[in-house]
Amino acid sequence: MNDPRPGRRFDVQDDATAKKTTAPEAPAFEQHFVPVDPAPGARYQLDSVHHPLEEEAPPEQIDSALDHALAKPKKRRWGLLSVLAGTLIMGGVQAVETFQNAWFGGDWVSGAWSVLGLGVVTLAGTSLTKELFRLKRLRRHARLREDIDTRIMDTQMDGDRMKALCDRLRQQMGLGNRDPHWQDFLQAHQAHHNARETRDLFGHYVLAPRDASARRLITRMSSETALLVAISPVTLIDMGLMAWRNLRMIDRLAALYGLELGYASRLRLFRAVLANMAFAGASELATEVSMDLLSMNLASRLSSRAGQGMASGLLTARLGIRTLKMLRPLPFEDDRAPKLSDLRRQLWQQMKRVDDGKAGKGRADNV
Amino acid sequence: MPLSLPGYAGDWLERSLDRQVRLAVTGLSRAGKTAFLTSLVNQLRHAGLDARLDMMNCAREGRLLGAQRQTQPDLSVPRFPYDQALAALEGTPPAWPPATRGISELRLLIRYKSRTNSRHFLGEQRTLTLDLIDYPGEWLLDLPMLRQSYHQWCEALSAQLTGRRRRFAEGFLNQVSALDPAGTADEQQLADISAEYARSLNTARNEGGYTWVQPGRFLLPGELDGAPVLQFFPWPLEQLGDPAALAELPADSNYQTLARRFEHYKRTVIGPFYRQHFRRFDRQIVLVDVLSALNAGPDVFDDLRHAIATLMQSFDYGSRSLLSRLFNPRIDRLAIAATKADHVTPEQHDNLLSLVQALMAEPLRDLRYADIPVKSLSLAAIRATQARTVEHEGKRHPALKGTTQSGEEVLMFPGEVPPRLPDADFWQRQGFDFTAFRPAPQTSGEALPHIRMDSALDWLLGDKLR
Repeated sequence: MNDPRPGRRFDVQDDATAKKTTAPEAPAFEQHFVPVDPAPGARYQLDSVHHPLEEEAPPEQIDSALDHALAKPKKRRWGLLSVLAGTLIMGGVQAVETFQNAWFGGDWVSGAWSVLGLGVVTLAGTSLTKELFRLKRLRRHARLREDIDTRIMDTQMDGDRMKALCDRLRQQMGLGNRDPHWQDFLQAHQAHHNARETRDLFGHYVLAPRDASARRLITRMSSETALLVAISPVTLIDMGLMAWRNLRMIDRLAALYGLELGYASRLRLFRAVLANMAFAGASELATEVSMDLLSMNLASRLSSRAGQGMASGLLTARLGIRTLKMLRPLPFEDDRAPKLSDLRRQLWQQMKRVDDGKAGKGRADNV
Repeated sequence: MPLSLPGYAGDWLERSLDRQVRLAVTGLSRAGKTAFLTSLVNQLRHAGLDARLDMMNCAREGRLLGAQRQTQPDLSVPRFPYDQALAALEGTPPAWPPATRGISELRLLIRYKSRTNSRHFLGEQRTLTLDLIDYPGEWLLDLPMLRQSYHQWCEALSAQLTGRRRRFAEGFLNQVSALDPAGTADEQQLADISAEYARSLNTARNEGGYTWVQPGRFLLPGELDGAPVLQFFPWPLEQLGDPAALAELPADSNYQTLARRFEHYKRTVIGPFYRQHFRRFDRQIVLVDVLSALNAGPDVFDDLRHAIATLMQSFDYGSRSLLSRLFNPRIDRLAIAATKADHVTPEQHDNLLSLVQALMAEPLRDLRYADIPVKSLSLAAIRATQARTVEHEGKRHPALKGTTQSGEEVLMFPGEVPPRLPDADFWQRQGFDFTAFRPAPQTSGEALPHIRMDSALDWLLGDKLR
């Protein structure tokens, strides 16, 4: 019974490859192939309950494991929470003070600035609240990525199934059937490619262009954040900017891959956003205090602000890379993952360009 | 090897910059060496145009610019007959390239765009020189003889002379039993027995499907046909007496004459072949035709395993450094390919792969010990069939569509490939019958269809094309 199946001939008319429009009866075909020696074969009744691989009943353990992990965090991040709360309170006091001074001093311009700053803070507040609401709703999506991950790791899968999975990924990414990247992939894919090769091809032809634009997006948004944080004078605005830009970046990255973030991964990223906010706030306060204490001149004040901005930009870029790694439907191949060092160079160049532009303008003004 | 000094210095420079690779295409006769080389040249010539090399990083990133054939360094060796092979494939009816009857060389210049940081000061366009040689697989079998004396050789071959092999050698054994080792040598008698021995080797290979037939030159003598150097044979061990007594025999005795011819064969035929063509390799691909061996039965399969394990000992393996690259090249990367993968349906490729790994288990262990990266893949240098799905009795079956060697168009499931060698009683009940296909008709001037040539090229050359 475990012998290899003998060969057989068919009529040439029986060729059904062209008629592949109907769904392939994968389970029936699977049953026909009784594995040879290594794994003991098993035959099932044809009328027993079975599903196509794609709609397989999800294992229950993942969900419950996730619940378990979420219900009782092993470690409370007291340090992070206290820094966050502290900076929020201090930032609030500072903001009220600035606003009060502006009101009583009749300084309308700075008052307007404060109102603008409050606007930013409100924006950040709404993003954060929305995020908290969405966390609940997204919980049922948590399974998706793990599902894809485990399936890809399964080497038993053949090329055709993998291709079907790639097709689903394509639809999820919002690519049409006529999309040139997808068409490239279809042309490259051959009947003899196995699951690993198919994944490789999909990664190269369909995902790589997305990766490139994701990388551009991260550079752009982190340098924006760096600039904004560098020029904003108020702690609370810094924190607000950080939250707003970071969450925005996560959303846009998610939209780029068309994959909704899983519950667990979003929670992890959200924590990273909070940490970034805390850093922005604390570093802004520290810069202020040290500038006053050391009574720096204007130039060193500017440069310390630029340094703070640069650091915020780098943190944003790091968050972006983490998001990218979590979002990509297929894991990165060995050395293709983007590195912070690449982005750091780009970020630095962008900052320098702005600086040069300013300097050039300054020279032009002097002439 | 007559080489001009500037050419030699140029080679050295190229080698020190690691821009020259000698690829060993190893395989017994009919394993598909010529088809592999033809396809390799074809794919690289068509790279970036119509060749589908999607698993080759350099090609799919659009950095591979193409390849050109170049005059080979050794002008006394014929050029690889690429055009003739292609003409055979594109003919009507299409045919496989004719069997190789002698050594030929090919030098290929592969042009590519570099991606490394050094491109800013060394230039973006680079050239990799790829040296290839083609040779009759039969001759490869002689290499292990270099390490044997005549008596050891007789011992080794007598041990193998069992079962079906013995039946094929019946005529030769009868003739040799009448010969006395101590008797005075008669030229004509020795020539007759040698001719009978060569005949038995030919039958064992052509009818029995055996791959381990020594000496290989007896099957393809080339210009040595009829020379006394090819007039010797292994003496069955049971007819030889004590080795010490044999060594005492006079120089004109039958035994001593044969031993002298054996040594001469080693020195003048195998030695130069090995030194000139088989010592300086950087990369290797071993082509194994498992399906034919399965067709022929368990003893042939064992024979193939033995042949390959012995052969692999004739190559130098080891990691490379600048010095070893210049003075003592060694193979630092290896691919093992189960050829004719287009003769089974795609879902059988995994089984084909594990079968070839089981076959090569012994050499693979040694290679792992030497820390040589090995990749095994199922490969069809020139794809002859199309993978289809058949609806038969309400179920879907994988199938192949192609034309058999006899010209009949068929749609068939060739059978399952066992993931390892089936046990003895399976062979009693049922055997394998994998059909041989002839190449699909090619449009002239288009790249040849293939299975995993791109993966093989990427593994063998990918790290040089960065």
